[in-house]
Amino acid sequence: MAQSNWIKIVIAASLGIALGLIYGWVIDPIQYTDITPELLRQDYRADYVLMVAEAHQTSQDAETAARRLAIFGSDSPAQIVASTLVYADENHFTENEIIILQGLLTAMQTYQPQGINAP
Amino acid sequence: MRQFLRNQIVQLLLALLLGLGLGLAYSWRVSPVTYVDAVPAILRADFKDQYRVVIAASYASTHNLERARARLQLLGDTDMVSELSAQAQRMVAQGELLEHIKPIALLATDLQNGAASLPPTQIPSTIVSYVSTPFTNNNLPFTLTPVTEIPTEEPSATETQTTPGGKPPKSTPTTTFKQTALVPVTASTFVPRPTFTPIPPPGAPFILVGQDQVCKTGAQPGLLQFILTDRYHKQIAGIEIIITSLQGEDHSFTGFKPELGNGYADFVMQSDTVYSIRVAGGAFVPDISAPACKDSNGISYLGGLLLTFQQP
Repeated sequence: MAQSNWIKIVIAASLGIALGLIYGWVIDPIQYTDITPELLRQDYRADYVLMVAEAHQTSQDAETAARRLAIFGSDSPAQIVASTLVYADENHFTENEIIILQGLLTAMQTYQPQGINAP
Repeated sequence: MRQFLRNQIVQLLLALLLGLGLGLAYSWRVSPVTYVDAVPAILRADFKDQYRVVIAASYASTHNLERARARLQLLGDTDMVSELSAQAQRMVAQGELLEHIKPIALLATDLQNGAASLPPTQIPSTIVSYVSTPFTNNNLPFTLTPVTEIPTEEPSATETQTTPGGKPPKSTPTTTFKQTALVPVTASTFVPRPTFTPIPPPGAPFILVGQDQVCKTGAQPGLLQFILTDRYHKQIAGIEIIITSLQGEDHSFTGFKPELGNGYADFVMQSDTVYSIRVAGGAFVPDISAPACKDSNGISYLGGLLLTFQQP
């Protein structure tokens, strides 16, 4: 086969690869439907932590709050709340919300796990 | 065939298809699109349940119905009330803690009613040890290292962050910041509530005002139905009913089936079993059992009971 033919075949194959990548990454990418919470966008994560803080404000149940925060993976509950506080401050959360988050942060910093409790 | 494969157009098409296949394999299998900024609607079902629990717990604290509704919408549920009711019943079946279930029932009921059963609450000022304004990136009134006490501050204080050992912490952000315009409100007067306090039914204790046999062929045999209302005959959700028999104790709550009424609850009685009913904060009704009914042919079957409780 002539060299020019090989060049054409390589170009055609490259074009095919490019089309395949565009289709697979842009036009019809894999749709995820069962993701875990650590993949949530940061604003949703922050709102989740705020909800935990609001619930904790009434219940004062550090165990439950820590368990609820644990769905975000390996970071400690205090680290999760601390980073949320930074986000809240940068994104103009209300003063009340920041105070509530501070309350949760204090609770998480002093929280000592009592053992494995369900759920 | 060989002649066909030697055709240049065919060769190009085959090369194109081969490339396309390789591209798709790479983009779908080897290196698919990864999500890093996902929305709650695509969370796994068990995490969605957890999300709802936290929304409901937050709502039980703030009573901000619009915010709870907006948060639930993030989960993409077509019928929020049904999803909450179904989850509450799943949690009951799984034997989860009642204090985790009641906020879900309360939220479902309030969404069904379209109004919060209690007005939105603001954070009480007594939990504030100090308020620092304004906040800036480097002026956060909290520390990133473990501490056991919130420092009490004087207005316009200059504060240096230190570790218990007295050495500067290794973590960022900045270790020194200035606090300006400190507004002391109350110095450490926070009184924690150690355990969850169930929402008490407002008003006087319930009393039994009606006990009616329900004899309907085709109905659930032995169905014990409860309707709880306030003094104005408005049904009340979230009231615990304790059903005791020789077999043990069961708990039911009003509001888990908002489609049947916010003050509705039910329980299936066994034949030849005597039950005692106790409504939280109110009536005690002993000697309850499923009545025997007869259909039009004189055949006996197990009927039901409807107990109506009201606050005087």
